[in-house]
Amino acid sequence: MNILLRKRRELSERFRWFEGTLSVAAPALVFLLASSAFFALLGRDPLALIGQILNGAFGSTYGIVETLVKTIPILLCALATAVPARLGLLSVGASGQFYAGAWLGTGMVLVVGGSHLAMPAMFLAACAGGAIWALVPGFLRAQWEVNETLATLLLNYVASLLVDWAVYGPWRDTSNLGWPATISFPESVRLPVLVPGSRLHAGLLLAILLAVGLHILLSRSRWGLELRVLRSNRKLGEGVGMSWKAGAAATMAIGGAVAGLAGILETSCIHGRLQSGIALNYGLTGFLVAWMSGQHMLRIVPISLVMGALLSSGDALQLFAQLPEATAVVLQAILFCSVLATGGLLRRWRSP
Amino acid sequence: MNAFEIILGTLLSGLRSATPLLQVLLGETVTERSGVANLGVEGQMLLGAFAGFAIAATTGSPWAGLLGGFVAGALLSAVHGALCLWTGANMFASGVAVWMLGGGLSAFFGIPFVGRKIDGFVPPDFGAAAHNPLLGPILRAATPGVLVGLCTWVACGLVLYRTRPGLRLRAVGESGESASTLGIRPSRVRWAAILVGGGLSGLGGASLSVDQVRNWIEWMTAGRGLVAVGLVIVARWNPWWALPSALLFGVVESLALRLQTLGVGISPYLLSTLPYLVCLAVLAWGSVRARARGAMPRDLAQVFSSTE
Repeated sequence: MNILLRKRRELSERFRWFEGTLSVAAPALVFLLASSAFFALLGRDPLALIGQILNGAFGSTYGIVETLVKTIPILLCALATAVPARLGLLSVGASGQFYAGAWLGTGMVLVVGGSHLAMPAMFLAACAGGAIWALVPGFLRAQWEVNETLATLLLNYVASLLVDWAVYGPWRDTSNLGWPATISFPESVRLPVLVPGSRLHAGLLLAILLAVGLHILLSRSRWGLELRVLRSNRKLGEGVGMSWKAGAAATMAIGGAVAGLAGILETSCIHGRLQSGIALNYGLTGFLVAWMSGQHMLRIVPISLVMGALLSSGDALQLFAQLPEATAVVLQAILFCSVLATGGLLRRWRSP
Repeated sequence: MNAFEIILGTLLSGLRSATPLLQVLLGETVTERSGVANLGVEGQMLLGAFAGFAIAATTGSPWAGLLGGFVAGALLSAVHGALCLWTGANMFASGVAVWMLGGGLSAFFGIPFVGRKIDGFVPPDFGAAAHNPLLGPILRAATPGVLVGLCTWVACGLVLYRTRPGLRLRAVGESGESASTLGIRPSRVRWAAILVGGGLSGLGGASLSVDQVRNWIEWMTAGRGLVAVGLVIVARWNPWWALPSALLFGVVESLALRLQTLGVGISPYLLSTLPYLVCLAVLAWGSVRARARGAMPRDLAQVFSSTE
């Protein structure tokens, strides 16, 4: 066994401040350089395009509203990833849980219809759907050490096919002819709109409240402390009577419920009906946001806003710069690579 | 049609649909044997599928397409190598980043190729043999893509277990630290393993787009790369077991397709979930066994157990 003796580096206040700034500025700078290089390679003017991105995302009321609309599912999917990560579980299953929630929530709406209990019943069903979908890999990991990353990824495809089955099959509304979707949801299950005439709904407030609530739960409660102990040393935690398996089940279920909520919000408030392909890449974007935040529930909020801006500006780029929809995915990937590269290098530099 | 012909037909169509997966699976086996996990194979496969199709469509040569797929996959996997080996980033997160990058780039540049058709490999004239009930189906199923896949399978098995570089690779995967005391540079071996794995996954993607379906659709691999990462565990990091594992997925996939064409009253969407569910089931079974037998390369086990 090697024993390494090293003098502890004293961190002065100023140094810590410097480090904090660097951990945000360095990836941002690398991202700007790399994405500029990408645009330049395409023969486009990077500065003009970056200007268009900013203008598209924040330049008009419409842009801001669309940014916030996209922020909601990203924020919820990021929370769904970050909660299990507090136990060290790496779930990439937000999009599957999103679909499972949308699916079960829609089923509930189809059953109870327009009654005044429809909205709570729908939300409950959606959260249950997401939670069940997340509990499967949670159980597999807890019981048989099945890698949860792979299990959640495989279940994503299953859930998206389940939604396809529902909207092309039994739940299809034949009155909208060629369009595979369910019937329109009744007005009573839609959350109120925040900006009149837009599609920005109160789910935004709900999502932020959830982030704050989860932050308090995970950083202030006894349970949050238990998760921290179990994550850093499972044997120690179990030695003093904590249960890692219960933690895995609970964190996966909470994460799944949050992603399921994202699914039903998107279904009921944005599309007004269940249809195929509504999760887009929100699951992966959420994973990226959770990672960038360092799995910190409050930091997730502003980063989700930035990603929402990036996605909504993708629509603007499509319209005004004739760049394909996939530009947003490429930019996100470049951002993720920048974050990982600078994060790794900074960590190495901190503890050589 | 007798029972034997049905079984043979199912196996052969299973082999055809398993070939892309087989190549990815072999690539990931090589990579993981060196102690590096790579979820980015999904993205490498997509980029390989796009690059292969684009090259085959413009040059008219499916062989050039397969080669182009290999190169594209290897180039993209270099991003994973740089992130994991140079900056020390988390392997799973880096894999997801590479996945997004491959998917995004292939969708970005692939737009002009959506909806185009290519001829793929032109089957040679087998003469009288093509009418033989036993030989005919085999000859028709053995497209150059499938043959390349089978050759890769044999080559991977032989290189990994019978050659010096293979031995070094396995040594590094078990313990990079001990390997370095023997004068092996773990980072070099891992770089090579990542690039070869990336190339093979790109080749798998290309054989999907160039040989199997002969068109290009965004995100067309539909999780095959991720399935491969799961099946590596089922195959217990043994390249010889890669063929049966891939075949399992391929047979289930082609059975699902066959049931659809037979007009079974089950929705095609539900049938399409079968390959993923079967993969999940064997992954669970394989994980139990892998743990019991300790088949996982030891340095890799550290990657899997410490997710942060």
